[in-house]
Amino acid sequence: MHISEGVLSPAVLAGGAVLTVVGTAIGLRKIDYEAIPRVAILSAAFFVASLIHVPVGPVGLHLVLNGLMGLLLGWMAVPAILIALFLQALLFQFGGLTVLGVNTVTMAAPAVLCFYTYRGLLRHPGTPAAIGAFACGFTAVLLSGLLVALALITTGQAFLEVAQLVLLAHIPIMIIEGIITLFIYLFLQKVRPEMLEGIYA
Amino acid sequence: MPSKWWRGQSHLLQSIVQLSVFIIFICALTSPGLAHRAIIFAYAEGDTIHTESKFVPDTPVRQGEVQVLDRKTGKVLLTGQTDDQGKFSFKIPAEAVAQKLDLEIVLEAGMGHRGEWLLRADSYLQGVQKATAQPPASTSTPVAAETPAVTVDRQQLEEAVNKALERQLVPIKEMLTELTVRRTSLPDIIGGIGYILGIFGLWAYFQSRRKRNP
Repeated sequence: MHISEGVLSPAVLAGGAVLTVVGTAIGLRKIDYEAIPRVAILSAAFFVASLIHVPVGPVGLHLVLNGLMGLLLGWMAVPAILIALFLQALLFQFGGLTVLGVNTVTMAAPAVLCFYTYRGLLRHPGTPAAIGAFACGFTAVLLSGLLVALALITTGQAFLEVAQLVLLAHIPIMIIEGIITLFIYLFLQKVRPEMLEGIYA
Repeated sequence: MPSKWWRGQSHLLQSIVQLSVFIIFICALTSPGLAHRAIIFAYAEGDTIHTESKFVPDTPVRQGEVQVLDRKTGKVLLTGQTDDQGKFSFKIPAEAVAQKLDLEIVLEAGMGHRGEWLLRADSYLQGVQKATAQPPASTSTPVAAETPAVTVDRQQLEEAVNKALERQLVPIKEMLTELTVRRTSLPDIIGGIGYILGIFGLWAYFQSRRKRNP
């Protein structure tokens, strides 16, 4: 999912950077004192998830966890993902500093979108919430793949072709992410229900 | 009793155990490593340049597009495609030899993955000069019969040694290029987590101060 340096045009890079700044500003305003540990832990989880390598498809794929971040953080996922991506670029050479904005948008925008889309389902405990949690993890990766394909249009690669390739390659990841998001949701519901009630009251 | 605090929390413990088992299961399904960084490296052997492309740590890039550019002007000298082992070899272009160009070899692995390798002129020119110098040397041997046999022998010996050396050096060149690829280490990962927790810890600290003295 990380787009490398030197692939995209300056216009796309600038667009990504602007959107990231706006999203980060909104996210930062939403972080209150109680939310800080939650944002920190999920940012760390996202940072490490990219190292968990799933050997399917032509290219080894890794977990993204942006659906889970959307589910638990909403807008606050943007600064959390930005920090994790910044450190990944610095320490692992994933992506790069100039592409930081675009990469943040491709991963954080689906997180925020899924938060609002599935909020309704997640408010009803039981089966609807469980379906919402799975769908949240599943759709976030799907949307990220589409956004990557969209960003690559400008490089002359045909959208449909790339989108097809990215999506086909990520189907297993979508399912795994859906299951992981579901399990962590169920776990939190059992152990820390007050945390979820705080978000989906 | 404080030492038996977990007695009343068996429910919580059970859930934590369940989640840990699940996470270990997922990790067992997957192998630790790095995806999503494409790299290419190149070395010269005689008048040929060999390149190898892979996704870190060790998946070959199949049918990736390789471009060879002049570093200064950015002019594309040639393009090619990697095979199933991620390899692509090409004869050094005459233009590059004549102008002693530093070659920038770029890999486009698709889905936004890209890798670069810089091959400096002095690291491939030597082999080319030897290769082009060889034919005249062999044709001149009959003429050189007048010259003392010792010098011819020395010349041949030198050529033979050079050839053997080059053959022996290939695996070492490959190893060296592999070593220059920066790999993610455990300290990187732990350090990164530390940074993240530290950043948010600082933030929590300043927020808590603001709360105390409004």
